[in-house]
This record gives sequence, C-alpha cells and structure tokens, in this order.
Amino acid sequence: MAGIEEPSRVVVLDAGPLIHLDELGSLGLLADHFELLVPDAVWNEVEHHRPALFVSSSLHFRRTTPRGAPSPSLAAISTLYPLHRGETQALQIAMEYEADMLLTDDTAARLAANQLRIPVHGTLGIVLRAARTRQLSAREVVDLLRALPERSTLHVRPSLLREIIAGVEGLNQTRE
Amino acid sequence: MTTTIELEIPEQLLAQAQAMVREGWAADINEILTDALGRYLESHSAELTEAFMREDVEWGLRGRD
Repeated sequence: MAGIEEPSRVVVLDAGPLIHLDELGSLGLLADHFELLVPDAVWNEVEHHRPALFVSSSLHFRRTTPRGAPSPSLAAISTLYPLHRGETQALQIAMEYEADMLLTDDTAARLAANQLRIPVHGTLGIVLRAARTRQLSAREVVDLLRALPERSTLHVRPSLLREIIAGVEGLNQTRE
Repeated sequence: MTTTIELEIPEQLLAQAQAMVREGWAADINEILTDALGRYLESHSAELTEAFMREDVEWGLRGRD
C-alpha cells in the first residue's frame, strides 16, 4: 500500500468515531487494524446510541475493562480536563495496552492524550486515511465527506469541510 | 460583572465541592463552578477543535501509518 510504513495494530476507540463511522456506513475502514479495543463505558454509550452497531458489524470489537486504577499521570490530567467516563477509560486502556492509536473526536480527550503522549486521531483522519491507503478511491472519500453534514452527527465547519474536500480532489488529480 | 444562575447538579458532586471548600482548596462553591466552566470552555474551544481536525487531515492524507 502506498505511503504505509506499518499498519497500527492496537487501536482504542472512544464513542465518537464509532458512532460517526457507523453513521457513514464506514466502520469497515477500521478493518486493517489488528485489534479494536472498546472500553466498557464506551461500549455502553455506543449501544445506547447505535444499538445495532456491535451486532451487525463484521469487525471484531473487543470489549475491554481497565486493568486497575488510573495511573497517577492520568489521574492528575483527569482533574484538569472535563473527561467523561468513557474517555477516561479509553485513555487508561490506551496506556495499559500501549496502544498504537486512540481514536476520539472529543477535544478534551485529545488534549489529554497529547499530554500523555498517546498517538491520537479522529473520524476525519480515518476517512481521509482511506484515500491514502487505497481502501477507498479519492472520489469515494470525497463523496463521504460531502455526505458528512447530512449523514453524520460529526460537526465540521462548512468552509473547513470544503477546504478538506478540495485537498482530497487535489490528491485525486495528482494521481491521475 | 457577574450574574446569578440556577443550577441542578448531582448531590454527590455538590458534596464533594463543599468538602473542598471546607478543606480550604477553594473560597466557595462559586469559585469551583466558575473554574470548572472556564476549563470546559477552554478545552472545547472551536479553535482547538479545528486545529485537531487539521491534524487529522494532515495525518489522514500524508501520515505513515
């Protein structure tokens, strides 16, 4: 695959990317990761919002309980940022399993992940990565991005979304 | 300038906040709530959210994993 050094192996998921990718019918974009860990609290939250997600997906999501108490660094950071239970568990599990990547769309969780040196990305990154890894054609990614405002609850400022779409279309032209 | 609001919060949360005031970690409940709201707004700013989305765009299109 072009531009790929080594695929991420262990990915911890927060509720946002699971819900947003499911809304877009694009959970399959996670298929090239070795292990998909879903914290208990995130599992419950996702089941509440998208009851069929874990049942209907062909991916194997592993429901994961934190192994112990949060580390002192996570406990300290949790007091600085308004993190929900699922986000805190996701950060903890990412640390415990030395995850290659945490996926979250929550700004505070991303700030905390940066401080804890956990590689972190969001739904947009996964969708755009699909063009780079050729999981989808650039045209298909553009179509997904165009559908984002209507099909997904992920909010992206319209002018930023147009900018991103132009970037992917540019990628397409470069390849052609 | 300040204004007065009514707020419904879980009793346990209020009890924890009152304990912090009693122990001298904050002047009063107002200070704790104002600080908490400030931190929430700071960590959810539109600029920060957009900055993270731009990081995603860069990684998504030009990352190496």
